[in-house]
Amino acid sequence: MNVYINSTGRYLPGNPINNDEIEAVLGLINNKPSRLKNKILKSNGIKTRHYAINTEQQTVESNCNLAKKAALNCIENSFLPSRKIKLLSTATSQGDMVLPGFSSMLQAELDIPEVEINTSHGICSSSMMALKYAFANIKAELSDNALVVASELASRLFKHSRYEAIEDDSIDFNAEFLRWMLSDGAGALLLENTPRSNTTSLKIEWIKSFSHADVYDTCMSLGKSKNDEIKTWQDYPTYAEAEKSGALLLRQDVRLLDNIVAVGVNGFLKLISTGDVNVDKIDHVLCHFSSHYFKGKIFEMLAQAGTFIPEEKWYTNLYERGNTGCASLFIMLDEFIKTHTLNSGDTILCMVPESGRFNCAYMLLTVEK
Amino acid sequence: MEHYIQTELGKKCLQELLQVWLDFDRNLSKVPIVKRLETGRLSQQDYCHLLLNMRQQVIEGSRWISRSASSFDRNHSDIRSSVIHHAHEEHRDYLMLEKDYQAAGGELADIQTAERNVGSEALHGYLMYSASKPNPVALIGAMWIIEGLGNKMSIKWAKLIKEHLQPSINITRFLEYHGKNDEDHLKELYQLIDRVASSKDNVASIVKTARVVGRLYCLQLEEVDNYE
Repeated sequence: MNVYINSTGRYLPGNPINNDEIEAVLGLINNKPSRLKNKILKSNGIKTRHYAINTEQQTVESNCNLAKKAALNCIENSFLPSRKIKLLSTATSQGDMVLPGFSSMLQAELDIPEVEINTSHGICSSSMMALKYAFANIKAELSDNALVVASELASRLFKHSRYEAIEDDSIDFNAEFLRWMLSDGAGALLLENTPRSNTTSLKIEWIKSFSHADVYDTCMSLGKSKNDEIKTWQDYPTYAEAEKSGALLLRQDVRLLDNIVAVGVNGFLKLISTGDVNVDKIDHVLCHFSSHYFKGKIFEMLAQAGTFIPEEKWYTNLYERGNTGCASLFIMLDEFIKTHTLNSGDTILCMVPESGRFNCAYMLLTVEK
Repeated sequence: MEHYIQTELGKKCLQELLQVWLDFDRNLSKVPIVKRLETGRLSQQDYCHLLLNMRQQVIEGSRWISRSASSFDRNHSDIRSSVIHHAHEEHRDYLMLEKDYQAAGGELADIQTAERNVGSEALHGYLMYSASKPNPVALIGAMWIIEGLGNKMSIKWAKLIKEHLQPSINITRFLEYHGKNDEDHLKELYQLIDRVASSKDNVASIVKTARVVGRLYCLQLEEVDNYE
C-alpha cells in the first residue's frame, strides 16, 4: 500500500513580529533589554516570527487552537470531509494541558467522531514520529487516511516573568538562547492511500530516524535547574520551588549543539550507503536547520566526496516564519508546495535534526501529478 | 573550492571514510575516560594516565608508517614519498608528549618504562602487520582515522583540558600540535585517497582498515582505566 500526502495546511498566529519587536511581546526581563539578543539572532538568521501571546503576555490563542486552525486549513484544501478522518496523529512539545494527550484535546476541537488517536511527545522531530505512525498505519492497511498535526506555543515559556521568578536572579546564556530562537505556529498534513488526480500528491517513499541519546548528554531540556544533577521539577516539594530554582526554564546546552551537525551528516551518509538517498536524484531539500551550520570542514568533506546537494536545491522559510519546533517542517512543506511549480517525479528530501538529545529524522517524497 | 578528489571511486571511498569516522567519533564519546574528558570530569591524574597510555603507541607510530613506506614497490613510489614525508613529520612527537606528562606532574621514568596497554598491543600489532603487506594502500584508512583524531584532540580535547584543569603551565602541547598544518595534511590525504582508491577492492580494504583502527583505538582508550 502506498501513502500520499494529499493536502497540507498551516497557521501562524497574529502579525509577523520583527527582531526589534520581540521584547515588546515577550517583555523585558527586570526591565532591561537583553544583552545577548542581537548576537543570538544574528547567528540564527531569523527575521520575523509569530506569537500567540500579546504584549501583555496574555495567551490570545491556545496551542490547541493553533493546531485546529492548521488542521482546518489542511482539511479545506483536501477532498475529504473531516468526519471521514480515521486517524489523528499529533505532535507538540507542550500541550495546553499536561494531561490528557494533545490528540484528545484536538479531536474535541475538530469534532471528529470515533477517530483513532496518537500523540507524539518530544521536541522538533516529534512531528516526524507522529507522521511515521500515520504512514505506517496506512502502509499496513490499518486505516485509509490520517490527519497529522504539529503545533507549538513556545512563547509562553519565554515571558519575562518566567525569568524574573528565578531565585538567584542570574539568567545564563543557555537559558536565554531559545528565547530568541523559538516561536509559535502549527502545520498539518493529510495522508491517504491513493493519490488525487487534480492536486499535488506527494508519495512518502520512507521515513527513517536515528537517535543518539545513548552517546550524548541532554542538549535541549526543560525540567532541571542548571546546577542540579539529579532532581527534576516534580521532585521539588512544590512547583513554586521548582520554578524558583530554574527547573522550569527551557534550556539549550550550546556547547553540545555542534554535535547535531555530525549526527545529521552521519545519518545522511548512512541513507546514501543503504541506497535510500541518491544525491544526484534529489530535486529539493527541506531542512529544519539554520543555514549557518552549513559551513565548516565537514561540509567541505561532503563536497569533496561528491555528496553535497547544491545550495540552489535547498528551501527554507525559517527566516520569515520563525523556528516553530516540531511544526516547522510541516509549515515549510505547506508553503513550499503552494509557492513552487512541481513536476511529476520530483523528489523532496526532508530532514529534521533535533538537538534535544540528538534524534535526526529524514523523509523522502516523490511528486505525483 | 578546489576539488582534490576527481574519480568516482575516490569520492565513494571518502564518503565511506567519513561515515566510519563519524561512527568512530561517536563510539569514542562512550569510552569512559573520553566521556569524563568531554563532560568536565577528568582529573589531572586521569590526564597523566591518558598521556602515559597514549605515548606507548605514539612512539611506535612512526614505525608502522616507515615500515609501510618500505612495503611500496616501484609502481607506488609516489605514495612511498608521501608516506616517508608523513613519518618524518611525526617520528618525534612522543618527546612533546613526554614533556606534557612531566609538566602535568608525572615522572619521566614512569612514562618511559610503561608497557603498552592491551589495546595498544592490538593496535600496534595490527598496524605493523598491515604495513608489512606488499603495497599496503589500505593503511590510508588508518591514516584517515589517526589524522581525524589529531584534529579532534587539538580543537576539542586540548581546549576542554585547559578549561577544566586550568593548568598554570602548558600541559597540552602534544594535543594542540596536531591541529597545526591540518589543511595541508587533509589535502595530502585527499590526494592519496584519489590515487589509491583505484578499484572496488582497494576501497573496501581502506574502509575496513579504518574501521579496525577505529575500534582498536577505542580499545586502547578503554584500557586506560584498567592500567595499574
